[in-house]
Amino acid sequence: HFLASARGGLLLRAAPLFSLASSARSLPAASTSLALLAHHRHRQAAPKTTLAGGSTMDPPGADAYWNRETSKHGEGYSGKVIKEARIVCLSDPDDKDNEPLYRGGDKLPEGSSVLAVGTALEDFDLEALKEAQPNVVFVSHPKARGPLPDLLEALPSVDWVHARSAGVDFITSDSLSSITAQNNVTVTNAKGCFSSTLAEYTMMACSYFAKDLPRLLKNKKAKDWDRYDVEEIRGKTLGVIGYGDIGRACAKLADAYGMEVLALRRNTKKSLHDPYVKEVFGLDRLNLLMSKSDYILIAAPLTEDTRGLVGAEAISHSKDGAVIINVGRGPIIDEEALVDALQDGTLKGAALDVTTIEPLPKESPLWELDNVLLSPHNMDKTATFSLEAAEMFLFENVPRYVRGE
Amino acid sequence: FFILTMRSAHAICRSAQVASRRSLFQAPLCSALGGSSAVRTATGSTRGIQTSKADPLSKQYKYWNREESKHGEYAYLLDMSPWSVKREARIVSLSDPNDSANDALHKGKMPYSSQLLGVGETLDDVKHLADEKPNVIFASPSCPRACLVLPQVLEAFPTIEWVHVRSAGLDFLSPEELQTNPSILFTNAKGQFSSSLAECTVMACSYFAKDLPLLMRQKQAQHWEKHDVEELRGKTMGVVGYGDVGRATAKLANAHGMRVVALRRHPEISVNDPLCDKVMGTGKAALNELMAESDYVVCSAPSTISTRGVINEDAFAAAKEGMVFINLGRGPVVDEKAMVNALKSGQLKGAALDVFAEEPLPKGHDLWGLDNVLISPHNMDQTETFMHEATSFFLLENLPRFICGEDLLNLVDCKAGY
Repeated sequence: HFLASARGGLLLRAAPLFSLASSARSLPAASTSLALLAHHRHRQAAPKTTLAGGSTMDPPGADAYWNRETSKHGEGYSGKVIKEARIVCLSDPDDKDNEPLYRGGDKLPEGSSVLAVGTALEDFDLEALKEAQPNVVFVSHPKARGPLPDLLEALPSVDWVHARSAGVDFITSDSLSSITAQNNVTVTNAKGCFSSTLAEYTMMACSYFAKDLPRLLKNKKAKDWDRYDVEEIRGKTLGVIGYGDIGRACAKLADAYGMEVLALRRNTKKSLHDPYVKEVFGLDRLNLLMSKSDYILIAAPLTEDTRGLVGAEAISHSKDGAVIINVGRGPIIDEEALVDALQDGTLKGAALDVTTIEPLPKESPLWELDNVLLSPHNMDKTATFSLEAAEMFLFENVPRYVRGE
Repeated sequence: FFILTMRSAHAICRSAQVASRRSLFQAPLCSALGGSSAVRTATGSTRGIQTSKADPLSKQYKYWNREESKHGEYAYLLDMSPWSVKREARIVSLSDPNDSANDALHKGKMPYSSQLLGVGETLDDVKHLADEKPNVIFASPSCPRACLVLPQVLEAFPTIEWVHVRSAGLDFLSPEELQTNPSILFTNAKGQFSSSLAECTVMACSYFAKDLPLLMRQKQAQHWEKHDVEELRGKTMGVVGYGDVGRATAKLANAHGMRVVALRRHPEISVNDPLCDKVMGTGKAALNELMAESDYVVCSAPSTISTRGVINEDAFAAAKEGMVFINLGRGPVVDEKAMVNALKSGQLKGAALDVFAEEPLPKGHDLWGLDNVLISPHNMDQTETFMHEATSFFLLENLPRFICGEDLLNLVDCKAGY
């Protein structure tokens, strides 16, 4: 759903919401799922965007996004500054991670300025702001879903919205889709910023079950020198549902461990030549992936296609002793079906960094299950990760914007 | 029928010729005659035995790595060509006859020109075999009193040329026993268990980096609260004893974006190793330097005269703040008391230990009660098949080399003890 072009362009988030109508026309309606996606895309008009040069690690024609580990820092753009970036921040003014933005003045990249910071519509003097003709909105506030479309409506000069996180499900809505289509607004996010830590977590989660860490911890409490057999991760199969940047970072590590990686993604063509992946599956082959994987990693975004994707049926196809790891979004898994499978032994275990409701309510049976590794959606939360994401906006995307790349 | 047999005989002769040409290529016949000529100095091969054209890796590291080395390079030679055979192997197995891991040896098909004379656990079980002039001993530490029995057996069988030990650790034998008869070759299972141990090392690092103990506590309390996690990327891993386990760990550490500092007796062997950012020799200064630089220190050294107690109070005092210590080598390499003190005082952030000075770890030991210690009962390499594979290594890799007069893999330096 991306068009490669000679001109550079802004980084684009991979989601059905923001897409190019022309690519929808060129999609073959071979399978029903593809046809559904094509139909879905038709409903939205195309924002004006094109592809930028991708990072060196991507196969040609892949998504253009910035990867913290492999992309160049502060060097990927060139040329003269041809326009200004007048930025409005829909974020918490006390958020220390946005310091690079708020500090202002000469610390900001050439050609850019921050006009206002606020969390709700009332915080802004919209009349005055409109006159200043802002063209960029930087959004990081968790409660931005409501105000954002209204803000864009009030400031029609805005043509670019950047979300500080990778997940944009905190701002997606029908009204956002329509206003971005109407005003031709490009939306970008922080894909590629958080993948490395999550990959480390994924391998830890695999080891947690392979070496039976729960048993080790139980034995320690009982001072029990109980020598049991451990499993190797080497030689096992990792099935990645949602093979984006996180999926790829995990595949790289899994490959180093000697695992076999199977990937499932909407656009299978993009990963056909990926050296870390043994086989690529489309969305319709989920059950096949489940049947072949010892460890299943969910690293997909939350969209209409992925909500409830891993349900009772998919789980029933899983291999003996399979482990599910979720670093994507909780609602992708049917949590009730998951609990059932964990309780009756269909699944050996699960490692969940995300759950349907966060914070996880006390009534959830997940708390009490021995074979579940729970973390409070913080496995990518290093001390500096949000700061780095804000810096990425400021020092990678803003320079490209002001140079028309 | 006559034509068919002639054809097949011809075919066999031709393939045998091909095989022997190959064996010529790989193992010059001239050295097969005497065993002490034509030294290939490029590899620094000791004992004047010819060098084989095994993989490049074995030129630098003369042992067999389960993940990287070629498997069964010699099997076809033995099945095909009597010409490649230089001697017969008459094997005595010092192991538990009921140990199923050794079934391949005890019950399976033996390679051409080798025979299993007998299996036993004590000298009495096997001494009657002396008349058959056994020349190979296969010793598995599952034989309960291997440390006592082996020396006795070696005394009773003067014809022994080679002892293969099924485990990697040889510290169950004293250095005197290893050096009693300098003409006997000792080999072990170095390179067999490294992958699983490397996985364990990185798991231990992540255990502390993502603060798994806190996650466990929060789960117990049903408490949902975000905390900051650390990355492994960009951190430094120090490897004390950079052997095969150390190297496998370095491989994984590199994949995670960590920096690796290695310490070993012969740093010159690893000086060009792409996996290491820094290689140092042994000695107090070097060890302290490593402790001061590393966020995670893994000890994968064997227990020998020179390593015993080498990670002591001084070393822990030099440790970087927040350092995590991982031991999968041998317990005696660490001064356990000093380590416990360092853990209690907070000098060490935590430790993950698979080996101890005394195993099983006594119930009264301090380590059981320390919150910041991950204890495993010397089983982090204990997969279902690891000992089976170790026996297969002897049977399919080293035994054929012995029979063909090739260099044995995994030769132990008896003076050094590993």
